[in-house]
Amino acid sequence: MFHFFNCAILTFGPHAVYYSATPLSEYDTLGTSIKAAVVYLITALVKLVCLATFLNVSESDSFDPYQELLKALIGFVDVAGLYFALTQLTHRNISQYHKFQAVGLGWAFADSVLHRLAPLWVGARGLEFTWDYIFQGLEANANLVLSLSLAALGSLMWLRKNKPKTLIPIIYVCAGIVATMPSITSYLRRGLGWHLPKVVGFELFTSLVMAFISWQLFAACQRPSN
Amino acid sequence: MANSPKKVQNPRPSSVLIDPVYSSMITLLILVMACVEICDAVTVVDVYRLVQYDIGGVPFGSRLASLNHHAGSSLFSSSSGAAADLSRTVLILPVRELNLTFIKEYITHRKPLGGLLLLLPPAFSPYSESVGRAHHDSAKDLMKEVLAELEQLLIHANTPYPVYFGFEDDSINTVLADVKKNDATGQLATATTGGYKLVVAAPEPKKVASPTIVNIQGWLPGLKADGDSNQLPTIAIVASYDTFGAAPALSVGSDSNGSGVVALLEIARLFSILYSNPKTRGRYNLLFGLTSGGPYNYNGTYKWLRSLDQRQRETIDYAVCLNSIGSFNNDLWIHVSKPPENAYIKQIFEGFSNVAEELGLKVGLKHKKINISNTRVAWEHEQFSRLRVTAVTLSELSVAPELLQNTGGLSDNRHFVDEASISRSVKLVAESLARHIYDLKGKDINIFADNSSLAVNPSHIHSWLDLLSTTPRVAPFLSKTNPLVMALKKELADHTIEVNVQQEVLDGMFSLYDTTTGRLHIYQVASVTFDLLLLLVLGSYLIVLFSFLVITTKGLDDLISLFRRPPSRKVKTA
Repeated sequence: MFHFFNCAILTFGPHAVYYSATPLSEYDTLGTSIKAAVVYLITALVKLVCLATFLNVSESDSFDPYQELLKALIGFVDVAGLYFALTQLTHRNISQYHKFQAVGLGWAFADSVLHRLAPLWVGARGLEFTWDYIFQGLEANANLVLSLSLAALGSLMWLRKNKPKTLIPIIYVCAGIVATMPSITSYLRRGLGWHLPKVVGFELFTSLVMAFISWQLFAACQRPSN
Repeated sequence: MANSPKKVQNPRPSSVLIDPVYSSMITLLILVMACVEICDAVTVVDVYRLVQYDIGGVPFGSRLASLNHHAGSSLFSSSSGAAADLSRTVLILPVRELNLTFIKEYITHRKPLGGLLLLLPPAFSPYSESVGRAHHDSAKDLMKEVLAELEQLLIHANTPYPVYFGFEDDSINTVLADVKKNDATGQLATATTGGYKLVVAAPEPKKVASPTIVNIQGWLPGLKADGDSNQLPTIAIVASYDTFGAAPALSVGSDSNGSGVVALLEIARLFSILYSNPKTRGRYNLLFGLTSGGPYNYNGTYKWLRSLDQRQRETIDYAVCLNSIGSFNNDLWIHVSKPPENAYIKQIFEGFSNVAEELGLKVGLKHKKINISNTRVAWEHEQFSRLRVTAVTLSELSVAPELLQNTGGLSDNRHFVDEASISRSVKLVAESLARHIYDLKGKDINIFADNSSLAVNPSHIHSWLDLLSTTPRVAPFLSKTNPLVMALKKELADHTIEVNVQQEVLDGMFSLYDTTTGRLHIYQVASVTFDLLLLLVLGSYLIVLFSFLVITTKGLDDLISLFRRPPSRKVKTA
């Protein structure tokens, strides 16, 4: 039980900390986050339906490039969902700067709850100690950072009109990389047979790099408009 | 790309603040990497509980079933010497390396222990795939002796903690190696050094309510001469089929008395061929009896004989009981309770020894008087003798076993039984009986010669021996509808007529308890200190994250004011 508590803190703590530490809490963007989470749920449902329709169930755990490509394409449903969350949802008067953060946060939190809570509840409460759930928590952290980066890039792509022309391709490339991250990690895990700690380390590292890049891009786009 | 990272709401240059956070992230990463490959999924293995039983209310065996303690590997902890407290430790002891004198002392003095897990070599598993021919290597024979001694020790002791048997395999060996390593260094169990918790979730063992014993009998009626009003004499061939051992779920008793049962079935098959033709039908009835309750002073034989019709019982000329005839070299023994000078005994013995000579066997005669006042019945024929029916037991054992000895326990499995031995005993018994029945004494006729239609069928013996060697047969756990009992009944019905299954209650002195098997879960557990440490690390991580986020988004002053506010409020209220 203690272990479960620890892992839960690691998995969901950063989301709460992020919300309370940043100005998001001051502007009361919880509504936006919840809306984003709902959009995430719907997107996940659509994704599941797509996966069930187009993918065969593979018995073996091997890496099949064609299947993975299809999976990656279906993964772009996420991007569509994020687009919807960023552009179509009626937001209260909050700046773009806060909007993308709120959406990213809601997105990542919904993802964590959906994908990690149940395994955690089932697995980490027992006597058995494994590092798996700690890694899973770290993965959730990486995922939060990635979601925020993706939301930031998305808001740059779709909401900001007057951005420097030179940065546009970079933004799109970065967004593409971030959006295909799940496929990349799945390839690393199953195609190359990496172990979980290595994969999680890679995820953490890349998420931080991507976050840094998108931060720089965001800052760069912000500057001329001022 | 723009290289001055500036934000609207964050006038402070943040690159200065990123560095420490990044370095801490990297250290965290390294930390994570360092702890790789300790991940172990939960291991689950089948374990078999030591028998728990009462004799006349006196408790014996392991008195507990549920297990939930940390694992240990030796009786002595290296750090604190011999006075280690093991009352909360499950000892994992491979029988291969077992020191019998230590364990004997431990058990007889009833020293406290959390539990005991004895690991048997995989060759001793009745369920292992590699059931091959019996090949005797000295290591295995030595192992068998150790096991037999250990079994007797455990059966006759009263252990207040759970005792389980398991089989060595890769997963359990890695666990054991880890545990040994920890014990050697005297470290406490932590997640990183591999502390293990052994858990068997089992309910409180319950007494088997009114344990039953099931006897199976079949007849091969002889040919009555026309106008002969007298009853035909009967020869009975009897074998007890149930077992008793330290672990009821592992007591398959290939030799004691699977070999006897197999031989009986084969003899029934041979004589059914002879008796199916009126020309070769003998002037004796043949009665085949598969009795239960063998380990409990042949209680089933007792019940069975008393349930037989008085007149039927009186027609029994003599009875041959088969007991442990599967692993002898050349010597077999005929055990009797009447003095050897007795005419019937002499006749039977001569018949057997003549055939034995032809087969290259040596048969000896052993006489053991019955003490009526003693409840102990060492041989099955003694139950017949008590009712004044002439009977002998054919066995490879030269001395009468003690109570619950040689009853088909742990060390008695397929690897130590030789099909050829069983074939030879079948031939010996069948040939001797046939010569008696057809009165061929002194004539040089081999009825069950090899390659004839009446030859002993090795595949019949093989398949039955395999079946019996994989089926635990502790009588109270075998009901009338048990598949094995049904199979025995069907096999006997194929060769004989009037097959009768008789269910009796085992006499009250013995009572067994259930829960003979369990699933052992081996968990790798973290110590509480590790959990606390982890909590501390996580807490500081979140605090660092919080501070970092506040500083980057709102500025350092906000963070400081966040901590300043509470005291100012206190002043207000005060």
